Amino acid sequence: MLALGLTGCSESFLEIAPETNLSSVTFFKTQADFEQAVNACYVPLRTIYNDRSWLLSEMHSDNTYYYRNTAFGATEQQEDLADFSIPVSNGLTTNTHVLNQYRQDYLIIARANQVLALIDKADFDAAAKANLKGQAQFLRAFAYFEIYRYFNKGPLHLTPITTREEAAAKLGTAADLEKIIIDDLTGAIASLKPKSTQEPGRATSGAAKTLLANLHIIKKEWAAAEKLCKEVIAEGNYSLIPDYNNVFSTSTGNKNNAESVFEVQFQEGSNGYNGTFMYNFLPRPMTADELKTLSGTSNPQPQTGEGNNAPTPNIIAAYEPGDLRKDASIGYITCSTTLWEGKTYPIIKKYMKPHSLNGNHGMNWPVYRYAEVILFLAEALNEQGKTAEAATYMNMIRKRAGLPNTEATTQADFRTALMKERRVELAFENKRWHDLVRTDTYKQVITAYGAEIKANPFAYYYQKGYTLRSNSFTVIEKYYPMPADEAALNPNIK
Amino acid sequence: MKNKFYDLRMGNRAGGMLLALIFFLSSVAMAQAQNLRGKVSGSDGEPLIGAAVTIVGTTRGASTDGSGNFAIDVKNNETLRFSSVGFISKDVVYTGQKTLNVTLAADNKTLNEIVVVGYGSQVKKEITGAVQTIGYKELKDLPVTQIGQKLQGQLAGVQINQTTGQPGKGMNVRIRGQLSVSAGSDPLYVVDGFPITGTIGAMNPDEIEDISVLKDAASTSLYGSRAANGVVLITTKKGKGSGTNVSFNVYTGIQQVPMKGRVDMMDAVEFAQFKKESYEDAKQPVPVEFQNPSQYEGKNNDWYDALIQKNAPITSYNLSITSNKEKSRTSLVAGILDQKGVVLNTDYKRYSLRLNSAYDISDKVTIGFNVAPQLTYDNTPRTDGDRGTGILFNALHTWPIMPIYEADGKTLTKFNRFPASTGNIFAYPNWVRSAQELINETTTTNLLTNAYIEFEPIKGLKFKSSMNGEILRTKFFFFNPSTATSAINVAIPTTAVSIRQNIENLSWLNENTVTYTKTLLEDHKFEILGGYTSQYFRQESSQIQADTYADDRLPTIQGGININRGATVSGVQEWGLISYLARLNYNYKGKYLLNAAIRSDGSSRFGANNRWGIFPSIGAGWVVSDEAFMQDIPAVSFMKIRASLGEIGNNNIGNYTHYALINNTVNGVFGNTVAPGASVSSLANPNLGWEKTRQFDLGLDLNLWNDRVNFTYDYYLKNTTNLLYSVQIAQASGFGNFNDNIGEIKFWGHEFAVNTKNTTGAVKWTTNANISFNRNVVVALAPGIDRVYGTFHITKVGQPFGQFYGVIADGVYKNAADLANNPQVPGRSTVGSIKIKDLNGNGIIDYGGNNDDRTIMGNPFPDFVYGITNNVTYKNWDFNIIGSGSYGNQLLVRHIYSTANLDGVFNMVDGAKYRFRSEANPGLGMYGTTVGGGNVTGIERDWMNSRFVADASYFTIRNITLGYTFTKPSKVYKSLRVYASCQQAYVFTNYWGGPNPETSAQGNGQGDGGNLSPGVDLSNYPVPRTFTIGANFNF
Repeated sequence: MLALGLTGCSESFLEIAPETNLSSVTFFKTQADFEQAVNACYVPLRTIYNDRSWLLSEMHSDNTYYYRNTAFGATEQQEDLADFSIPVSNGLTTNTHVLNQYRQDYLIIARANQVLALIDKADFDAAAKANLKGQAQFLRAFAYFEIYRYFNKGPLHLTPITTREEAAAKLGTAADLEKIIIDDLTGAIASLKPKSTQEPGRATSGAAKTLLANLHIIKKEWAAAEKLCKEVIAEGNYSLIPDYNNVFSTSTGNKNNAESVFEVQFQEGSNGYNGTFMYNFLPRPMTADELKTLSGTSNPQPQTGEGNNAPTPNIIAAYEPGDLRKDASIGYITCSTTLWEGKTYPIIKKYMKPHSLNGNHGMNWPVYRYAEVILFLAEALNEQGKTAEAATYMNMIRKRAGLPNTEATTQADFRTALMKERRVELAFENKRWHDLVRTDTYKQVITAYGAEIKANPFAYYYQKGYTLRSNSFTVIEKYYPMPADEAALNPNIK
Repeated sequence: MKNKFYDLRMGNRAGGMLLALIFFLSSVAMAQAQNLRGKVSGSDGEPLIGAAVTIVGTTRGASTDGSGNFAIDVKNNETLRFSSVGFISKDVVYTGQKTLNVTLAADNKTLNEIVVVGYGSQVKKEITGAVQTIGYKELKDLPVTQIGQKLQGQLAGVQINQTTGQPGKGMNVRIRGQLSVSAGSDPLYVVDGFPITGTIGAMNPDEIEDISVLKDAASTSLYGSRAANGVVLITTKKGKGSGTNVSFNVYTGIQQVPMKGRVDMMDAVEFAQFKKESYEDAKQPVPVEFQNPSQYEGKNNDWYDALIQKNAPITSYNLSITSNKEKSRTSLVAGILDQKGVVLNTDYKRYSLRLNSAYDISDKVTIGFNVAPQLTYDNTPRTDGDRGTGILFNALHTWPIMPIYEADGKTLTKFNRFPASTGNIFAYPNWVRSAQELINETTTTNLLTNAYIEFEPIKGLKFKSSMNGEILRTKFFFFNPSTATSAINVAIPTTAVSIRQNIENLSWLNENTVTYTKTLLEDHKFEILGGYTSQYFRQESSQIQADTYADDRLPTIQGGININRGATVSGVQEWGLISYLARLNYNYKGKYLLNAAIRSDGSSRFGANNRWGIFPSIGAGWVVSDEAFMQDIPAVSFMKIRASLGEIGNNNIGNYTHYALINNTVNGVFGNTVAPGASVSSLANPNLGWEKTRQFDLGLDLNLWNDRVNFTYDYYLKNTTNLLYSVQIAQASGFGNFNDNIGEIKFWGHEFAVNTKNTTGAVKWTTNANISFNRNVVVALAPGIDRVYGTFHITKVGQPFGQFYGVIADGVYKNAADLANNPQVPGRSTVGSIKIKDLNGNGIIDYGGNNDDRTIMGNPFPDFVYGITNNVTYKNWDFNIIGSGSYGNQLLVRHIYSTANLDGVFNMVDGAKYRFRSEANPGLGMYGTTVGGGNVTGIERDWMNSRFVADASYFTIRNITLGYTFTKPSKVYKSLRVYASCQQAYVFTNYWGGPNPETSAQGNGQGDGGNLSPGVDLSNYPVPRTFTIGANFNF
């Protein structure tokens, strides 16, 4: 009886949408929606550069090692990268850093896909739309470029998924990935604003050209690379900062400066936009007072555990006498409480900038600098036999470093000199491993490097009486194996 | 942004009608009556206490006092009915006498007992489902604070574990082994017809009249989409007896943590010796701190013990007033509980009131109002959890050479850190300070209300309409001053942090039912029920987190220098549910029984395509003992065979999971500017619908020898399909999971319960015992996925759910030959390190991925659970003992990744003394060498292995009570019972991982991997042994 007449409104009674979140049905309509969606595409870069890139690209090379602390364990995930001993089974690895790098890159891709799938249909200012679309294309290309360099293959996601089945996408070859990168960057170059008019910190047409040039360099398409580098130079938006010490950002300033082509943006503070990488690069244990000499914060906390990204004797020796970049890049700190008898460690001075909050800083990470554009150009010219022209560019870099012009005159000598120049100019900027791979020198260089550590572990920060693990330098492969956890969820990955 | 709570679209129409009916239908009639006094006794001459005296055809009644005496107003020619549980009722027509003494004959037939079932009640004999009821009498003698504790060991097929000893928390109730991949598994609690949305843990058990546990689909299907986990119906006390009865119950006690069961850790001398040896074994100089272990003689610091409060008091008062007037019945229960916990600075208080009243407006109309306000205050230090939060875990593994007190012996140390040369890599806050100085308080105010009207226009036809409301406000305040913290490796002073949280839950339920009872042609008895209900829930929450305080004495929001933006949030949760239900009960001569029920639920939680679900059930019973051919077997006093089949649902998956949501806090930074960012954070699934459970039950009730022995058996088979399952997907898609209805789990089990009256003479001794066997197997997961990993677990097709997963430890490599001849962990294994079985046969030991050396190494679910209760009464003495246990289950002892960490950064379990030291001194094979650092020791520490798994079978004496009743009324009371009692008296177990073999981190919201990761011991708050004395007064 009482039930009668009460049912009319039942469907609307049961239609309860969340109040604290928007849903995708109502989002992706306005310019502001797409601005927010594009901003979110940048966010995984913070994680990638703060936590992973240096592990997979720098510590996985002869440039840096870890600061072994024998009192501390659970460090094999990092050590396996530095020691070239990551576990590989059926062409897959369980290394967590490889997995996380992969996932963060695909997170950028998924967010960019959301934007690119819907932005053409949205109705708002065409110029604003082009600049937003260009950024999404640049970031998707950037992420696929990382996958391409690390794995040389990867699942193909170009549209947002809507069903569970679509999550297991088809595996693309290197050629498939190259095509995506080229298509996206061609679009981005046309759509993006140049640095002169773009909001600082965002992707620019210059950044897109540099990224595309990098791909051509890997593919040894020298003429195409030369053309793009010359276009970047011709833009006139970039210059070399006279003092190498001033090239790198501080916690609050000198960001996106004249030499910056693209950098990952951090902000010091309690809102979660900060970096912590400087702390990862500290030798440990370290007392609060010792830390204070580097961080300058009012509440330094003692550091325990094991530090990473320790400059190797090998890279320190790579600087020519008189190279101003050496002292700008590498510093030293004495840790009184370390068990390593050497006590005084080299550290990456480039990234050690004073800040105010303990464990929280705002230095940006340089991804592409104008100096690299010049070195790309020098390389592209030399490989086309224009060694003399190439020298003029390389000497710009050497001159700033306080060094005389290069003595290399043959193409082969110049090639060697240029790679050496790249190594010290771009030290600790996550370039080294990729250079070894693309020049196909990785096996020879890393094998020699491994022998060097094994011959003198103490020089590589091992306490006396300790040496490397027996499986060190047994897995020296050109590309990383695909992550096992993802393969378990996508049968196309092999 | 409209708050639908105040939009009682469903409710206010019904409410209006309710009021109209009240005014329209009321009429009252009164007549002259006389006062009658008398006494009721049993056939053995013993006075019967609490016997009911009612006047047939009216609602008037009384009950006997402690001496069996009663008084009642009665008119000539009215029929008095005397009844008492266990006795045959007797009717006497009143003929004007002043006194009347009545003797009742013992009745062993308890089958006419009325049992509360969903949306009504039923004669026990006629029930076709699996329902177990526990009455007030069985519950009242247990001086415990939570309902779950009262039920432990008393119910077949229901496993109740107390996972933590934190006051008012931790009761984990699982009916018939219920579990789910992503949805909740707690039963639905229905208080006086209202499915409550809060927790049951805080309810005052003294308010309860009886509890019915509905286990099979036939009895639960009327709760449709929320029934799959089983239903617990709680009926609160109503006015009864005659006139006004007042009782007052008080108990007080002390709580202790026995030494037995605590983890056997090294003391200061042993620890220093261990450290000394590990430096010697590594051929390194021994730090000065460890050169002479005997220097710590008499200077041991037992950090765990320092946190334990010796003899923590507990006191409870309950006042109960029931009144039964001619046209009204009321019951009031007021309670105060004041409990200190066995961990320092634990304080739990509960103030509760329940007023239930019913008024007969006319002989056709009854209205009732129930109101139950309650306030609880709880301050419990952050005891439970891993290193990051749990001070008990942290205390366990703190070096015993670290001083708790300064040299003066009374000032607590600030924090402890030894030089890095000693291998001390973490700062250890003083945990006693943490317990004393951290504020972690929760205040809840709860109001349950219920109003109903019953209208019976003609005999057998009854309309009932009710409106229920629940308001639950939770206020949480946490303050971590600069002087203490609950996490390890935080130097003091630390950054002071405050968290304030306010949560307000509002829920209403409108129910309208009609029942019609009719007996046709004498032998065909029908009962038909139809109903319409709607329920709505809304939760609003806000949280503010501030940090960096200049002064710990002023933990205000504005006192913090920073507001933590990321942790300062507000939220809303809402759901609505509309249901139609119907039931038919039919029986022929009370011998052939049939029961059919159906409910249709529409829920806001599901996608538009699958919003409505239908949940039918059917049950049948045959009372074999009523057949003529059974009369030749006098030993069988009752026998019933019953069977049921039905489909029920589970909707516990959160409120908005079918929407694709936008996360609008994914902000970018450009230069020094923060730019708002947003991304799609979850995937839409418009097809998301119910998790369905099809359940079959076959039962037997058998009473022998004039009901001296009552036996019940049930077999069940449940198939849960369309699992609400947050399926992991390849993250290259940009998403971690997809909410879907996928997969299947099969459950089955056997339940046996037996109640016996062992002696019936002067000494009355009864025994209730039960044992249950629950099993499950995962039949299917998502297509292409045969396993889901939990924290230390695997759920794999073809195997039981949530099994412990890891490598199998096989001693240590005893020497170089042993090392050379066995598979190794590349680059890590050495002589003396842990040896592991190469199960995949690839010649090396590998860990990680789907084809490594891990295997199922243990089961958190028991082979069987059981309980046994004995009651003995002799004259005025009563004695009760309850025990319950679990057999064949294991726990994963999580803390040994600290307490057996051979690097010596934490205090060690005593067993580590017998580790590998050299070929000549290889130890017992459980723990390996300390030499080689984390690269070597990390294998046994970081790789889950069989060493972590411990047998957690137990049998616990839950309760022992001895009472004496003074039946002779005094000036103060009518009757008085005094008792002494002990709870958690003794735990029989081989479990070595901690004091509580029932523990589980799962379900405590401690980042434990949730449903897929049951049975992990994180060194939770110990469950105390409690000694109590108490008194029950009747006035």
